[in-house]
Amino acid sequence: MARGVGQYILIRGLMIIPTVLILYTIVFIFLRILPGDPILAVVGTKNIAPEQLEHLRAMAGLDKPLYVQYFDYLWRMLHGDFGVTLAFPMGKPVVEYLKLRFPATLELTLFGFSISVLLGLLTGVIGAVKKGTKIDAGMRLYSIIAYTLFIPWFGMMLQYIFGVHFHLLPTSGRISPGLDLHTITGLYIFDSILTGNGEAFIDALKHIILPSFTLGLVLSGAYTRLVRNNMVDVLSQDFIRAYKARGVRDWKITWYALKNAFIPIVTLMGLQFAILLGGAVLTETTFNWPGMGTFIVDRIDYRDYNAIQGAVVFFAFFVGLISLIVDVVYALLDPRVKY
Amino acid sequence: MSKRGISLFLIGLFVFAVLASGCIGGSEETSTATSAQSGSQYAEQLVIGVTDKVTDLDPANAYDFYTWEVLNNVMEGLVKYEPGTLEIKPALAERWEVSDDSKVWTFYLRKDAKFADGTPLKAQDVVRSIERVMNINGDPAWLVTDFVDKVEAKDDYTVVFYLKDSVSYFLSLLTTPPYFPVHPSYKPNEIDSDQTAGGVGPYKIAKWVRDEELVLEANENYYGEKPKTEKIIIKFYRDASTMRLALQNGEIDIAWRTLKPTDIESLKKEGKFQVIEIPGAFIRYVCLNTQKDPTKEVKVRQALAAALDRADLSNKVFRGTVDPLYSLIPNGMWSHIDAFKEKYGDANIELAKNLLKEAGYDENNPLQIQLWYTPTHYGDTEADLAQVLKEQWEKTGVIKVDIKSAEWGTYVDYARKGQMQVYLLGWYPDYLDPDDYTTPFLKSTANSWAGTGYANPQMDEVLTKAQTLVDQNERATLYEQAQQILAEDVPYIPLIQGKLFVVASPGVGGVKIGPDMIFKYYTLYKEE
Repeated sequence: MARGVGQYILIRGLMIIPTVLILYTIVFIFLRILPGDPILAVVGTKNIAPEQLEHLRAMAGLDKPLYVQYFDYLWRMLHGDFGVTLAFPMGKPVVEYLKLRFPATLELTLFGFSISVLLGLLTGVIGAVKKGTKIDAGMRLYSIIAYTLFIPWFGMMLQYIFGVHFHLLPTSGRISPGLDLHTITGLYIFDSILTGNGEAFIDALKHIILPSFTLGLVLSGAYTRLVRNNMVDVLSQDFIRAYKARGVRDWKITWYALKNAFIPIVTLMGLQFAILLGGAVLTETTFNWPGMGTFIVDRIDYRDYNAIQGAVVFFAFFVGLISLIVDVVYALLDPRVKY
Repeated sequence: MSKRGISLFLIGLFVFAVLASGCIGGSEETSTATSAQSGSQYAEQLVIGVTDKVTDLDPANAYDFYTWEVLNNVMEGLVKYEPGTLEIKPALAERWEVSDDSKVWTFYLRKDAKFADGTPLKAQDVVRSIERVMNINGDPAWLVTDFVDKVEAKDDYTVVFYLKDSVSYFLSLLTTPPYFPVHPSYKPNEIDSDQTAGGVGPYKIAKWVRDEELVLEANENYYGEKPKTEKIIIKFYRDASTMRLALQNGEIDIAWRTLKPTDIESLKKEGKFQVIEIPGAFIRYVCLNTQKDPTKEVKVRQALAAALDRADLSNKVFRGTVDPLYSLIPNGMWSHIDAFKEKYGDANIELAKNLLKEAGYDENNPLQIQLWYTPTHYGDTEADLAQVLKEQWEKTGVIKVDIKSAEWGTYVDYARKGQMQVYLLGWYPDYLDPDDYTTPFLKSTANSWAGTGYANPQMDEVLTKAQTLVDQNERATLYEQAQQILAEDVPYIPLIQGKLFVVASPGVGGVKIGPDMIFKYYTLYKEE
């Protein structure tokens, strides 16, 4: 069994490599097909001699043939080097930015993910238990509305209500200006716990509530629907009737039903994680969250090839990893899956 | 992991989420700490929000307006502008002498100037910094290399600049960051983008998280007056709407560059914040390709200039937050004349139609042009600006406008290659002199970046002469002549001149921004 699991994980892990490679190739080609030049985007309209432009282009390696650029970058990536930024400022290792920005996105994603699962399960279970009632209709309506909400609009509504109107929560950023926090993991909330900084903990928590709730609520709609339908299926099965006949309490029955309905939900969690990262781009922009999303959007403006390639490849690798974990969890949960 | 373990993990995740969302009620106030300094009536800290970015903390490579603002607060040159004015006064140099031919400038440094860590500033530091800029040859290096032949330290406190030619506005150049002496810890002859050691300035950089936060603290070794606010925190925003909400929620004390015109208008109406208006020296204009049909024909270019209504543009697109501009040299700068107004007036549809008729266009054979803009580089109003220009030109009934857009990187590429017919650009000055608003645009050897292909030997001659003359009256006459030639040839149509807006919470004072548009934070304060 253990050997089977090991082999399975190894094979699934190796599958990430072609996925990442294909994505890198697509991004590489698209960036080069798109008009625009990273060096010109930085230099802008200011007067600069053509030879100076050529010098900058050579420094960035853009004077080399495309296939050389492609394999150079690939070779570097294999060694954990994502190249250097081509814009603002030129020549800084992209890895430094990934290290700085990724924890912010991860923190937001973890909270958003938790909230979406929590809300989705709660509303889905209520809908299933109250099947056919107005409450059930309400939950189904919730799932549709949540699914169709536009993140920037919804985020701004929350910012206005909880920030500007009630002054309850900050509307942007990860932590208040001037508040010192010694970072270890880059996840502010965990860092504040690790360093015992209560003030920073409360402050960082306040900052993450609106963006993670925005992200979580919008993505919870998909769970609501899936949980409800699965629960309804399970609740109509014979073993549930047997529980009821034996006088097992309602909440216990609901819990057993939820456990049985969980396998497809885990699959959705894996898929949602990739969507979640996409949603994080919009959420980060709305809440001025200094994560990977805002980083990529900024860098696209400047055609910063290395930064975009590096960030996308890193993202792809991360999503691949999450997908692998979900598959393994799925396999562990479902006794029908054999290695 | 067992099934039980997975269940426990998921339950843990839920509990964590519940805890996270249940902590809204924390009443501890942690946002902008405003504890007073002992003995000071002002808040210790002030937070400024900006949508700009700090690009490069090395003055040898930094070449954008906001980064120059930060450098101006953590560094200083030999001379500087008196805050809020165009008056140049001594800074790191106590006094200076100029040779008769204006080619040798000798500066005598003050002896009490120190870097933030206490290292005394010597003439050798100035020479090393200037030579470093020349050797690195970054984007702004031309501000030094085009003018300075060599620089020498005569002794520890005397610096001599030998210029290639006499330059009447050399002191203005000295106020720009490439001339600022930098701390010895800057890498020699190599760009040092994230170096925070700074120079000799009223503030020092205490913390910098790129695109997130910059913390400046008063430099205790600064020779001059101590800043009124001990700590200035800059918060970087991606968009103006979020910055406005942060201001309204009290997360920042000042919203600086750049709120949207509609936000400024509504905040003014709201009346809860101070909206401080400052004349700006940045300009917006239309470029016309003089090498490509149909704008190759001068009468077409003149007709496009005549049909414009700048007041309408200002009101409709910018909600009155800009001023109409009738020359490339901004309003209020010496030698400025309203050259386009004198020649074409405003919304002169009849003149435009006549000129087009002479060029061979009428209602049956309308002039067809492509108007290009770039969607984000100049803020959110650019699409509206293009649309209103289209409406104004199409009002003639003889012009058909096709609007096109491209992202900044592409747009710059197209412009430099001269691929666009009619397109929108903007200009922030490098130094405050009419030369910076004319030579880069109109001198045939300096304007390749703009892609208009404009070349007129008479214009080249006038500008070269104006650059080297010392007498301001003589120079003013030449720049007036250049503006008249510009209005005749129309390779560019000036549109508007921007104003600057500082929106501040009540209690914030000391906002002094001069025509150099640089916000010097050391005069700022917030009353307790």
